[in-house]
Amino acid sequence: MRPSSASTTSPQASRNPRGDFFRGRGFLTLLLVAALLWSLTSLSWGSSPVHPGGLGSIGQFFQAAIRPDLSAEFLGLVVGSAWKTVAYAVAGICLAVGLGLPLGILASGVLARSPRVKVPGIAGFRFLLGAMRAVHELIWAWFFVAAVGLSPAAAIFALAIPYAGILGRIYADILNDVPDEPLRALRASGASEIKVLLYGRLPMALPDMLSYTFYRFECAIRSAAIMGFVGVGGLGMQIQLSLADLYFDEVWTLLYALVALVLLVDLWSSWVRRYLTS
Amino acid sequence: MTLLKLATRRPTIRPNPLWLSAVAFLVLACASWAYLLVDSGSGFRELFQSETYQQASDFLGQLAGLDAEGTPAFLQWDKWMETGALAYDTLAMSVLAMGIAGVAALLTFLPAARNVATGELASSASLPSQALYYLLRGLFIFSRGIPELMIAMIVVFAFSPGILAGALALGIHNYGILGKLSAEVVEDLDPRSARALRTSGSSVFQMMAYGILPQALPQFLTYLLYRWEVVIRTTVVVGLVSAGGLGREFLLDMSLFRYTDVALLLIWYLILVVFVDLTTMFMRRLAR
Repeated sequence: MRPSSASTTSPQASRNPRGDFFRGRGFLTLLLVAALLWSLTSLSWGSSPVHPGGLGSIGQFFQAAIRPDLSAEFLGLVVGSAWKTVAYAVAGICLAVGLGLPLGILASGVLARSPRVKVPGIAGFRFLLGAMRAVHELIWAWFFVAAVGLSPAAAIFALAIPYAGILGRIYADILNDVPDEPLRALRASGASEIKVLLYGRLPMALPDMLSYTFYRFECAIRSAAIMGFVGVGGLGMQIQLSLADLYFDEVWTLLYALVALVLLVDLWSSWVRRYLTS
Repeated sequence: MTLLKLATRRPTIRPNPLWLSAVAFLVLACASWAYLLVDSGSGFRELFQSETYQQASDFLGQLAGLDAEGTPAFLQWDKWMETGALAYDTLAMSVLAMGIAGVAALLTFLPAARNVATGELASSASLPSQALYYLLRGLFIFSRGIPELMIAMIVVFAFSPGILAGALALGIHNYGILGKLSAEVVEDLDPRSARALRTSGSSVFQMMAYGILPQALPQFLTYLLYRWEVVIRTTVVVGLVSAGGLGREFLLDMSLFRYTDVALLLIWYLILVVFVDLTTMFMRRLAR
């Protein structure tokens, strides 16, 4: 999530003049309820939402939850595909940091002093980062497969592009939020903007940047798993194969492995973040 | 005094968890890259060859409709109208998904907060409330850990393909995320107003309504809007499986190599993303 959320609103802004309905929370509630009702009208209410026999197969699916396939040879396959998923996620995050860090520094506009360079630079790089993250990683993967063919490398680049877009934008925000006084001291002693960045901004921003990157790592595991949809190996691909063959016991083993993996990375990242922010 | 204490304190030899984590991540990264680069099937070598750039630029040309016969799809008005209807469905699917996730999370995030379940706030620690806490937290972990796309693959076993199936899959996944985030808000909030209400004789329900919800709901709303921005990007992907909205058409056009149609769908996709980003910005201003 974004580190600077609404909890930082100023007290002045939170005070809403009473009676001005269209600027307040009452109007917002009305809008949200209206949106939900509107979305319900777009459903087709005439036909039954459930397949004939659909509930039966869902029942079978959930029955398999208590007897996952734990045979030794299948567990070997699970461990192998879990490692593939982790490797793709780690490689993707490495590329995303490598791409997102320079773009984020450029998009924060901290290197330029004159506004004539600064303003178009910020706008251009922010737009580039926005375009990178607007398209979902699976769509990127599909384009890569259509353009250059199916390979793990394509999936890793497809993962890295939207993640670099997100990381770069957050890095830019964090670099801009660094307190100004120590930087002014550096500038007063004659440091160039690059030196201010290297010795002032980056060291101060590093804990927040690392903390957010670690949070994204958890998301990358999930994203790497769904790359199975375009044919890249890993947990997602195995889940898809087992689902297609209706081997629900295998599906559950793989789902448990995926959830355990995500939980493990989640625990690791929250442990690291606790040390970084305290 | 403190200086003396600091000076005489024996240096504790304990590995810094940050350094430990950094080393662990480096090892993991080296192992991953070694595995990928040594494995000849990974395709990194092929990716940096001149044919690859030729293929990529051909593909981009096809998206732009350079060598296609006939008018590109994004210059035909009726194509815009057709895909516009799908974009409308996609938007409805994302709103319905957020509705499902939001309502379900609102109903369950209080018992999933540790301080509520252990009776720290409500002073009603009971075995059922503790059991409910673990059950809900387990549910959050599961629905959060499984990606939307896989939930969609399972949901279409029972539900007819369409908007509802996709919204359900998106809703289940985001329920886990919203539930966890909002339960953590309750765990972190200032317990004094709730305790004051409780000691002055209000019921548990009154304490929740006047002591906890007013503090937690604005943050919940922020998370809901933030998730909506993410969900609108994912709705297209879930549509690939659940056959609703832009995703179904995307699958069809990619399979039939109708690349100018794909480009049109991509334009609608970006319009939706920008529209939702602007709407949430407006709504955040209302929530302040």
